[in-house]
Amino acid sequence: MSRHGPAAARGPVDASMTLLNEVSRRPLDPGYQLVADERAAGVRRPPTARSRAVVLVVALVLGVALTAATAALRQPATSASQARRVLESQIVDRTEEAAALQDQLDGLAAEIGALQSALVGSAEATYRDEVAAGAVEAAVLPVHGPGLRIVLTDGPPDEDDPESLDSRVQDVDLQVLVNGLWGVGAEAVAINGERIGSTTAIRSAGSAVLVDLTPLTSPYTVEVVGDGDAMQTELSRTLAGQHLATLRTTFGIGVTTATARRLDLPGTGPTTLREASVPAGAAPKLAPGSASGAQDVGGSAGPGEGSAP
Amino acid sequence: MIAVVGLVVGVVAGLLLQPTVPVELQPYLPIAVVAALDALFGGLRALLDGIFDDRVFLTSFLSNVVVAALIVFLGDQLGVGTQLSTAVVVVLGIRIFSNAASIRRHLFKA
Repeated sequence: MSRHGPAAARGPVDASMTLLNEVSRRPLDPGYQLVADERAAGVRRPPTARSRAVVLVVALVLGVALTAATAALRQPATSASQARRVLESQIVDRTEEAAALQDQLDGLAAEIGALQSALVGSAEATYRDEVAAGAVEAAVLPVHGPGLRIVLTDGPPDEDDPESLDSRVQDVDLQVLVNGLWGVGAEAVAINGERIGSTTAIRSAGSAVLVDLTPLTSPYTVEVVGDGDAMQTELSRTLAGQHLATLRTTFGIGVTTATARRLDLPGTGPTTLREASVPAGAAPKLAPGSASGAQDVGGSAGPGEGSAP
Repeated sequence: MIAVVGLVVGVVAGLLLQPTVPVELQPYLPIAVVAALDALFGGLRALLDGIFDDRVFLTSFLSNVVVAALIVFLGDQLGVGTQLSTAVVVVLGIRIFSNAASIRRHLFKA
């Protein structure tokens, strides 16, 4: 019966292992054995009614406390997942709202375009052509035509440093590419369906690449309307072409270039240019010619900014 | 047996009443519950060994919980809270395992 009594020591006991031996060889509270021995010897008095009551009350309290503790331990997980669910539904709702607003914006932009062309249509033909060409150049109208499709794909993550952004396509890569494309005669450029206009910025926020404030993810498909074969040849001679080669060889970023017979690029819709001006009277004395208004051109990839071949 | 009856009634009452634990005690709950489990297994083994005693069971239960919480509290004050919690969990875990093994030998004779 007494497997755990004082005589329970099995085999030689290493003195340096006292703690572990104590834990593993005598797992049962020694108190049980002590009381049993006392009872066998007849030294122990039978419990009184008062001690029974105390035992009952303590047991009750412990039971309630144990249940409360267990319940409290289970609670945080559920409340955290509830908060998560709320956030998820909010994200979905807001995304839908944003998509609906974008649809509305596209509809209104099309309406403005139609009204504009109706207004211009009554004018002279030369004026009309000029406006249409300007609208294409400013990326206001959707365009289609033959061109080039360049796909950049994130490289495999660095095993030593998975957080490293080196093997990922970054905003600067797309900036260099788009500027290079303008330089070799691109007529219209879009990245993942986001048309690049004169005020379109290619930036990064954290690890995400933003084009016209829309976050994009790999693969990045750059579609260019223009003379595909000529652009492909010219691009490889420019700095942008060298940059792409470096991305491919050094960082393992996938770069595929292909000519396309027909590309459909969306328009950005009418853009409103804002100008900053200095209020009258507040202007400091400056040399003539240096106080011109600053245009809000947030883009780093506007037409004409590219490096000429 | 009074202790067991009281404990069961207390658990049922706790389930029905849903009492809340003060926020200050929250960090000590996991260790306290593990300590309570150890006392429960010890009591079950003593019962099968035929040497169960109400008072020893309750005393070991109460002291286990209080000492475990106290060790975590001390550890928090000394800046070694997580390490001490791990130590307590390891010791109690070993005890639970060997008590469970002993209970298994009693029940299945194997």
